[in-house]
Amino acid sequence: MRPEFFAQLRSPVPWIVLAVAAVMPFVLPNYYLHIFTITLVYAALASAWNIVGGIAGQISLAHSLFVGCGAMLSSALLVRYGLNMWLGVIVSAAAAAAIGAMISFIDFRFRLGHLSFALITMAFAEMAEIYVTGTEFFGGASGLFLPKDTGDFFAFQFGGGRGAFWAMLAMTALCLLANLAILNSPLGYYLRSIRDNENAAQAIGVGLLRNKTLAMTISAVLTAIVGAIYARYLAFVDPYLLVSPTLTVEIILFATVGGLGSVIGPALGAFLLAPLGEILRGHFGGSLPGLHYFIYGAIVVAVILVSPAGVWPAIVSRLAKRGRQKA
Amino acid sequence: MDNQTAILEVDRVAKRFGGLVAVDSVSFDVRPGEILGIIGPNGAGKTTLFGLISGFIAPSSGDVRFDGVSIVGTPPHLLVRRGLVRSFQIVQTFADMTTLDVVATAALVRRPMNEAIDFAAHILARVGLSGKEQLTPKQLSLQDKKLLEVAKCVATEPRLILLDEVMAGLTLAETDAPLAVVRDLNAQGTTIVMIEHVMPVIMRAAHRMIVLNFGAKIAEGTPQEMLSNRAVVEAYFGDHVDA
Repeated sequence: MRPEFFAQLRSPVPWIVLAVAAVMPFVLPNYYLHIFTITLVYAALASAWNIVGGIAGQISLAHSLFVGCGAMLSSALLVRYGLNMWLGVIVSAAAAAAIGAMISFIDFRFRLGHLSFALITMAFAEMAEIYVTGTEFFGGASGLFLPKDTGDFFAFQFGGGRGAFWAMLAMTALCLLANLAILNSPLGYYLRSIRDNENAAQAIGVGLLRNKTLAMTISAVLTAIVGAIYARYLAFVDPYLLVSPTLTVEIILFATVGGLGSVIGPALGAFLLAPLGEILRGHFGGSLPGLHYFIYGAIVVAVILVSPAGVWPAIVSRLAKRGRQKA
Repeated sequence: MDNQTAILEVDRVAKRFGGLVAVDSVSFDVRPGEILGIIGPNGAGKTTLFGLISGFIAPSSGDVRFDGVSIVGTPPHLLVRRGLVRSFQIVQTFADMTTLDVVATAALVRRPMNEAIDFAAHILARVGLSGKEQLTPKQLSLQDKKLLEVAKCVATEPRLILLDEVMAGLTLAETDAPLAVVRDLNAQGTTIVMIEHVMPVIMRAAHRMIVLNFGAKIAEGTPQEMLSNRAVVEAYFGDHVDA
């Protein structure tokens, strides 16, 4: 681990941001707290996706499958067999890791290029949606209702809006921490070299299968846990929301606008776009359904024109330039 | 020298791409501690031969042994870990990584994270890229990219290094720096096999040479022997030369 990792953790900035965020449930009205919670869900998902899509440069369209795995499998195990949801989360995270590892192996075995990898992962995501909506165990097309949240922490209940917010805040912090740790460790160097040039990476001793699989399983596990917390928060587990490939598209969109490959970028993208989407959906969902997608599209075009690398890299280079001018 | 075991044995290796025979039953040994030059006209199969040795291309027939053990089918990254590394003729860049990051990644083969970064900075200074640690490939000249290609290989701390035309495209004066690095490495015990087009460079550097033409080995010997070898002269200059 590079010393930069510990230096960034010792810096007061992330702790102040975390502390300010943590008091939000006492400040914000319910509706805005709800939007903040959803934003955290997307920030965590974009951040987890960044490990595969940003740092390792593998455009995975399979992540709705991992969200769905965490949400649907842990919920179904609870509803059908009464399995404690903590255990359910462990089971579904392990299942997501196994599916991720399998996808990585297929990628390695058949030497998929970038486009084939994207298409294969998308096929897995589509199959997952069809499978879940057609399977009674997962509640079929109508989904599942989770038992009432009584605030029993040992049953994976967080006590409604506030508790769910804190749980998601902790999860988002964990995803960001995972990114920071990877970027400052050998794995981050290996993944970036694979992203930039697979052949040349092998020529300097970087194994493709091991490192890609590691990235995919870490990302899949984090994504599945986010999915489970999201399911618990919503209390109603809807396959058309949680296993939908559209969800992956939103995750990738936020991560790209924020800035792929950086620690902050993907989460920042979620903070810029997810609340906007929620508010637009709230105000125009009845009269102009899909308006938020239209606006997302316009924003993506604008960001790509102004700063192709994303918002966060643009901010960083602006700050660096200012710093140099002062010095 | 003959009683020493070879570090690398290339044994009747052939590679056919469809009907084209790129490498035609080539055999040679590389002795520990030597600098072996490989020359030959364009399309003679030199780079393909490096691909076959370094695990990037599977041979159609024949065997390659490193330290006496067959390495056919061993993936490139594991060969690097064992101490066999190659450079690329067409410079392979990492678009978004700084010079220091790339060389540090290579250094991770044998060193932990913190050490790898310091070691990478040391290697960059040694090949003459100090002050360019934070640049990305876009900001490097061709000469610097070639030096980076060498630095990457050196950072993996190999016992055998395959250099593919690292001097090509450089003026004779510009080859001084990379040549010094190569000799320096060799003096420290690294065995070197180098493909080179710049004849004066390879004549000065190599202890021994082999010559390829149309995929086959046509000559082997000291640089001086090569200059007077009729087959070599014909391959390079055609058969009607008044020189």
